[in-house]
Amino acid sequence: MLAYLVRRLFLAVLTSLAVSVLAYIVIELPPGDYITSYIAQMSSSGSFVSAQEAEALRQQYGLDQPLYIQYLRWMGMVLRGNFGMALEYGRPVAEVIGDRLWLTMVVSVGAIIFTWLVALPIGIYSAVRQYSIGDYIATFVGFIGLAIPSFMLALILMYFGFTLFNANIGGLFSDEFAEAPWSLAKAWDLTKHLPLPALILGFAGTAQLIRIMRANLLDELGKPYVVTARARGLSETRLIMKYPVRVALNPFASTIGYLLPYVVSGSIIVSLVLSLPTVGPLLLKALVAQDMFLAGTIVLLLGVMTVIGTFLSDLLLMWIDPRIRFEGKQ
Amino acid sequence: MAKKQASVTRREFLQQAALASGAVALAGFSPTAATVAQAGEQRIGSQLIGKLEGPELVLDPAKWPKKFGEAPMLAELVKAGKLPPVEKRIPEEPMVVKPLHSIGKYGGTWRRGFTGPGDGENGNRIVSTDKILFWDYTGTKIMPCLAKDWKVSDDGRVIAITLRKGHRWSDGHPFTADDFVFWYEDIYMNRDIQPNPHPDFMVNGKPGRLTKRDDYTVVFEFPEPNYLFVDILAGSTAMGGGQATQQFFLRTMGAYMPAHYIKQFLPKYSSRDEVDRKAKAAGFDGWLSYAKNRWDWRLNTEVPTLGPWKTVMPANTPTWGLERNPFYYGVDTEGNQLPYIDKINMGLAENLEVLNLRAIAGQYDLQERHTAMSKIPVFLENRAKGNYDVRLDPALNGSDATLQINHAYEADPEIAKWLHNRDFRRALSLGIERDQLNETFWLGIGVAGSVIPSESSPYSPGAEWRKKWSTHNPKQANELLDKIGLTKKDGEGYRLRTDGKGRLRIELQTSAGAFIPHTQIAEMIKEHWKKIGIQADTKELERNLFFTKIKGNEHQIAIWANDGTEVLYLFPRHALPVDPVEALMGHPIADWFASNGKAGKAPTDPEMLKALEMFRSAGSKKTAQERYEIAREIFKIIVDNQFSIGTVGQSPATMGVRIVSKKLGNIPAREVNAQHARTPCSSHPATFFYKS
Repeated sequence: MLAYLVRRLFLAVLTSLAVSVLAYIVIELPPGDYITSYIAQMSSSGSFVSAQEAEALRQQYGLDQPLYIQYLRWMGMVLRGNFGMALEYGRPVAEVIGDRLWLTMVVSVGAIIFTWLVALPIGIYSAVRQYSIGDYIATFVGFIGLAIPSFMLALILMYFGFTLFNANIGGLFSDEFAEAPWSLAKAWDLTKHLPLPALILGFAGTAQLIRIMRANLLDELGKPYVVTARARGLSETRLIMKYPVRVALNPFASTIGYLLPYVVSGSIIVSLVLSLPTVGPLLLKALVAQDMFLAGTIVLLLGVMTVIGTFLSDLLLMWIDPRIRFEGKQ
Repeated sequence: MAKKQASVTRREFLQQAALASGAVALAGFSPTAATVAQAGEQRIGSQLIGKLEGPELVLDPAKWPKKFGEAPMLAELVKAGKLPPVEKRIPEEPMVVKPLHSIGKYGGTWRRGFTGPGDGENGNRIVSTDKILFWDYTGTKIMPCLAKDWKVSDDGRVIAITLRKGHRWSDGHPFTADDFVFWYEDIYMNRDIQPNPHPDFMVNGKPGRLTKRDDYTVVFEFPEPNYLFVDILAGSTAMGGGQATQQFFLRTMGAYMPAHYIKQFLPKYSSRDEVDRKAKAAGFDGWLSYAKNRWDWRLNTEVPTLGPWKTVMPANTPTWGLERNPFYYGVDTEGNQLPYIDKINMGLAENLEVLNLRAIAGQYDLQERHTAMSKIPVFLENRAKGNYDVRLDPALNGSDATLQINHAYEADPEIAKWLHNRDFRRALSLGIERDQLNETFWLGIGVAGSVIPSESSPYSPGAEWRKKWSTHNPKQANELLDKIGLTKKDGEGYRLRTDGKGRLRIELQTSAGAFIPHTQIAEMIKEHWKKIGIQADTKELERNLFFTKIKGNEHQIAIWANDGTEVLYLFPRHALPVDPVEALMGHPIADWFASNGKAGKAPTDPEMLKALEMFRSAGSKKTAQERYEIAREIFKIIVDNQFSIGTVGQSPATMGVRIVSKKLGNIPAREVNAQHARTPCSSHPATFFYKS
């Protein structure tokens, strides 16, 4: 068991390193660098950057070095806990991401909770009452959620929010709270703004979860242990919730690996459309500006989160499903 | 969804516009708006284009106020002993501004939207009265600003400016000629910071010098006559842009700097180790990065400034917040210290749709940046609900979508041959149906024609040059193309290359995410050119790639706005290939021009050579009239040769759609919309106020 853990941990570190190399290469692939994008931005606002100035800036940021040296320099900094400066922001990357990380997590966790609260009961219901009217309606709604792109839903809801309810457009805070220090009132303001993004982000995921839950549960419902339990006179609710549902939950544990990166990045497009101050839009802007430190750090963070998430879900599966545990031993 | 909505309302809107055309005739137009009116008589926009007006400076000291007033929020600080009284804060020679309509009231927070730290222009266009010289509200006459006066020596080699006595930085420290000398000696001449002399501070490739004559007199000296330098000091240039536009986002120019504050970050005033240690402690890799961050007025709330408002919440946070500068040097005619408005709050919008939707919802009090021309119908539909007015400020440049031809192109010799052929270019221009473009993409508000600036500009060669080679005449175009030998056509009617390699295909390169939908415009031009048998291929590229291709001399024709050409000498890059930073008309030629022939390649076309020589000669001409005359001749050459092909311009596409809350006072009906006028700064936003 311990050997297995150590091996997994070692592989996780290796994977993260590989992710960082890949991330760096992919970000570096488009033509030009941060300075080209800087010059483009300057000239679109009517300013002059001479070739020599551009060269001096490249030297200042070490962009004149070969790619592998840039990478090694960056990695050396990262290993010492320094993620560099976000070039456009003129602030340390850790601060720029940190500002947005908590809000991103709040929104994402809100979306996940929404998804689970909606999908799990519906999934159980539509498995137990397969082919009933309720099953069809629930499935229909779920599929609509899957079929409508979330950014579209966001635009529509925002438009109706404005025309019908005169609601605030986008963002997570009202004007007066955006810069205020944290207080109960500000937390309440956030709570009021949260349902819309959580609903939009979560809605898309429900159909998938409903189907998984439904299919898993249907597999289990016909099994002899269910028949036996029913024959023994267990109440229907208790019977279903205690045995087949628990087994059917297995796939959820294995998807936690994908939830973690989602929690820290949120959805890029929806966040953009709703103007949510989360990590997603930051990543997009960093990529466009070719800010290596900021984009690299976010991609690395996502990679590491996926690795950790997968690791955790493996552990979780071993813990909740004895079959996997024993297979591992044999 | 939103798009659909807009197109429906637009149709309704055009119907209304047709009905309202009678009323339009009654609306007054300023003489400078005449061309706009002419083109837009039945147009929706013309009702929204008002009279060009603005506040004026009182230049006669005898008429200056003797007593001064101040904002309540500052009076409290004075009472608490935290601030000297207002008489001690205002220079003995203040800038006296006569507000447009009335003396304003103090107070209020101006709500705006911005798109992140890269959107610095959003704020610096408001606080730009920290320029050495500036323009009046028409954008044509040079006015005092930080400098109360200026003098050019007879030989044009020495330009002296006089500062205002008793002028202070926002922290109360005196602002003197020493701040200029500090910038010149310790920033500009420091090769670690500024690797080479800046073209704006050179004449014919020879650098200028800055010295102080006394505490209030700064002298700029050049080895050769440089009469143009006064314009440069007034323009949005590296030397005249002031702290707000030149000292942020890694920039190092601006001609002055708060010496008393910046010294602590330079090695010269302590030691390299000391400043590096400070930088590292703040998380920067070295003193240079840190120093640049410390003088970035958007990011550092501590750096002293001179504009009407200063940053209190940095631009790299969700709200870029500005607050009044208690030492601002401007007063109104009754002696009330400006600005009237206490604070400016710019809220972060992660994308432009959200920003526009917020503007539609009335969540901004005054917004002219990022508000899109295509949204005008929706803005109008909601203006009662949002309690705002919509005003359009057409720009002065001739073409928002200019076909910039690469005059140094050589990758495909056959294409190069045609691009460098004057008749071919004329035919391309005659093949474009500009009125349809105007209808479709400019809501009919723009003016169709060549690249020349508005006739109200002294640089304009005159109305007949707007139409020259720039009308829709497919017949003449076909004749021209036949005449130069492009006679063979394929089955679909497209002309064939003369080297036998199939159809002649011209690439139109556009950049994604421009203010104006260049790609869609290119698609329509492609349709137009079918009638003259020319096949165009539209290529939309990501912005970086767009410029990389231009740098690599790979493009054939690039589409871009020709903004800035209305002040040809201050911003020539969209009219002539002279600036290697952005050389849409041929990078090698711009390299050749900028290096005085040491690098790059000379133009092959004698007419182009002539235009470039005339351009170079202008700086040594003594009077503005002589320089204007040269510019007019240059524009004639550009149009006659169709060096770049104009389509539709003089429109509000860039920063010209103004959403104004009805609560605001002293708002001009029309502002001059131009880079050099720092719109809206030439309207002195410090005089805007909340009526209730």
